[in-house]
Amino acid sequence: MAKILAVDDSASMRGMVAFTLRGAGHEVSEAENGQLALDAARSGNFDLVLADVNMPVMDGLSMVRELRTMPAYKGVPILMLTTESHTDKKMEGKAAGATGWLVKPFDPDQLLATVKRVLG
Amino acid sequence: MGKATTQRKGDTVRAISLPADFRIAALDEVKASLVEALDVPAVQIDGAAVERVDTAALQLLVAYRREAVARGQAPAWQGASAAMREAAAVLGLVQALELPATTPA
Amino acid sequence: MSKAALAQFQQVFIEESLEGLDTMESSLLELDNGGDAELVHTIFRAAHSIKGGAATFGFPEMSSFTHEAESLLDEVRSGKRAIDGAIIELLLRTVDCLRAMFARAQAGEPLNDTVAEALRNELAAAMGRGAPAGAVQARRNVDQADAWTIRFRPYAGMLASGNDPLRLIRELGGLGELTVTPEFDRLPATLAALEPGECHLGWTIELKGPARRADISGVFDWVEDECDLSIDARHVVTEAAPPPAAAPAAPAPAAAAPVADAGAARAQREASAESSSVRVSIDKIDGLINLVGELVITQSMLDTFREGEIDAARLAVLEQGLAQLARHTRELQESVMGIRMLPIASVFNRFPRMVRDISQKLGKQVKLELVGEQTELDKTVLEKIGDPMVHLVRNAIDHGLETPDKRRAAGKGDTGTLTLAASHRGGSIVVEVSDDGAGLNRDAIIGKAVQRGLISSGEGMSDEAVADLIFQPGFSTAAVTTDLSGRGVGMDVVRRNVADLGGTVTIRSTQGKGSVFTITLPLTLAIIDGLTAAVGEERYIVPLVSIVESVQLKGDAVRSVAGGGELFRFRNEYLPVIRLHDAFGCQDAVRGIDEGLMVVVEGDGTRVGLFVDGLIGQQQAVVKSLEANYRRVQGVSGATILADGSVALIVDIAGLVRLQARRKAA
Repeated sequence: MAKILAVDDSASMRGMVAFTLRGAGHEVSEAENGQLALDAARSGNFDLVLADVNMPVMDGLSMVRELRTMPAYKGVPILMLTTESHTDKKMEGKAAGATGWLVKPFDPDQLLATVKRVLG
Repeated sequence: MGKATTQRKGDTVRAISLPADFRIAALDEVKASLVEALDVPAVQIDGAAVERVDTAALQLLVAYRREAVARGQAPAWQGASAAMREAAAVLGLVQALELPATTPA
Repeated sequence: MSKAALAQFQQVFIEESLEGLDTMESSLLELDNGGDAELVHTIFRAAHSIKGGAATFGFPEMSSFTHEAESLLDEVRSGKRAIDGAIIELLLRTVDCLRAMFARAQAGEPLNDTVAEALRNELAAAMGRGAPAGAVQARRNVDQADAWTIRFRPYAGMLASGNDPLRLIRELGGLGELTVTPEFDRLPATLAALEPGECHLGWTIELKGPARRADISGVFDWVEDECDLSIDARHVVTEAAPPPAAAPAAPAPAAAAPVADAGAARAQREASAESSSVRVSIDKIDGLINLVGELVITQSMLDTFREGEIDAARLAVLEQGLAQLARHTRELQESVMGIRMLPIASVFNRFPRMVRDISQKLGKQVKLELVGEQTELDKTVLEKIGDPMVHLVRNAIDHGLETPDKRRAAGKGDTGTLTLAASHRGGSIVVEVSDDGAGLNRDAIIGKAVQRGLISSGEGMSDEAVADLIFQPGFSTAAVTTDLSGRGVGMDVVRRNVADLGGTVTIRSTQGKGSVFTITLPLTLAIIDGLTAAVGEERYIVPLVSIVESVQLKGDAVRSVAGGGELFRFRNEYLPVIRLHDAFGCQDAVRGIDEGLMVVVEGDGTRVGLFVDGLIGQQQAVVKSLEANYRRVQGVSGATILADGSVALIVDIAGLVRLQARRKAA
């Protein structure tokens, strides 16, 4: 099973994501902002990063841009957890280097399906 | 996870082992070995250890083979893992890569 | 995810959302006072988190509601819209409305109500749109076919976003049987020219199997701007007409939503959350773990004394160990109690908004000052101190502080100052609500009290005693009952609520200068300081806070009065006597007044003499609920276990006074 990094400043959202993914047998690390996520990413080789867009300290987009400069995260899928259904917001995420997005609200099944999809 | 290793057998035969994690992050190194191998008449590529592979990796192999063949060489497979063969099949690249049907023992 | 697990995250979500709303509120207020642009981001983030979580955790109504507010904030954030008082007001009401919605969510009631609906329309109107057109959007053609040709040519940069054609085509394989033909035309001529991180391949894919166009394009939805994609049906099965686009609803009139009462909504939320959970800082938990570690070490050290002779040297070590054990136990007790201690800031923070609303309504100018917000107190006390404070603050603005005209006439500045201050004093927490307003009007109070029949005349009454009259049931000094304080709640209720928490409320006032209301409360309800009193064979704990003094009286100091009661003179007043042995039916108790002790106590604003055999000593008592373990007993607030293992009841002075009053009346 995969090593996944869940980044969200909301403890409930992060908890729900981590709980669901652990239940599916994944190894999940949690970070509560982009800066902490980068620290975690440097020390662990994650197969997938799930990140909120709006976070204090360092937002999701800046985090993705930083991650993409790290050789080990060149091709690693990064999904943005976003409430934005507007195309331009999603495109902002894509432009920063995100793989795709998961639009909130999502339920655990949707989350697992998307993670399964992106891990191939 | 092994890196791409190049083994010199005199000046005529070159063996290249592909790494277990044969994906985008590992390709600069593999590419360097392959570019070097273009100058060697006989090259054997071993993909038996490959566990994870992506499109970029197979694209690199395709580009290498095309140039090698154009130069009149015949790169041979020493082995190809199931993961590699499955990925090549999905991308329709089995033919272009001339992958062996099964890994020789 | 199981229901229980979801519910658990729901609770966390609600708690963090309420915190988020507090942040939104305080930031909006700061913005109103000329705060900087960073505040807008903070507010936006809070709204955004609530919106995202709400739908995920099963509150779609809240999500769509927050969406409107968020859109508004987004325009402010991106500079498309300037923030003004009207928007702040609208957003503040949104905060109230969401709080009320969360309260309903916790109570399991329907989330939407007319206030929410009206406000939502108002938000939509503010965005220059009508009512939100619902979730129905014109959907793409849902044509279906049993064979498709897909041409997929990724742009060079697609791999860098983590999207791998391998994954996409594999996923496509889930829809049917694939025939995949690669295209190499874009591949560089030489290997050296190939940038391994870029994609130069393309594919034509034949898909056999019944599939909808949406299923196929869904596979590519993350990469639609990173590739050329064409999806062509080869065998068309059906072509369903797209559903008619829903006619956009007519813009609803921007109904003025009734002003939601922030205090009420909050009170509702707190009432329902009273027994829920407590958030503890990691530091406190680490401290506890540390202490438990020490305790384990001490215990294993003491364990070595199980074997071998204990000589003088070892005895010294043993004594040292026992002293250590005592110290760690005491520290552990303090730490565990500390877990329940929270800063009073969470109560204080509701007041800036309330003061703003009330003072605007009354046309008064009020500056609010908060002092000692970090003062910690027990969570149970914290939850219950809010209502009395709300009442005192309302009262101070309504009756204490004057209008700018009157203030000028009195030679004061236009703006009145209201101060909330919290501090620790010994084992108590003291909360003061003070204002620099008109102060109490002695004559007006006496006049009213006489009119109400509370007193016959004010002659000879100290200022203190006069001020105390406002705490009498049914007393109100306002000539006209305003809609703010006219809630059928008087100062007597404030005093009773505080008394129920084992505390007292007093007032100091100077006419023309202002008033200070002082609430004194125990830090915790779990442990009380008390004196142990002996009554016959029984032991009772009398809470230290209610003890005024204890006196040894001569036999003739107590007089019987008509109706069976007894009185004694204490300083300048006559106090009724409650014989504890009578009240609780104890055998073998001392009956002669000169053989026992009279403990003067105060409860519910009334002083009485409690007659006991004697006082044994002072101790801290861990309160055990009698109600939970036995049943409610009049005049007793709980029980505790004494050092010798016997049980002592804790005397509820206020309850005892009421009990006695009833007996006398009967």
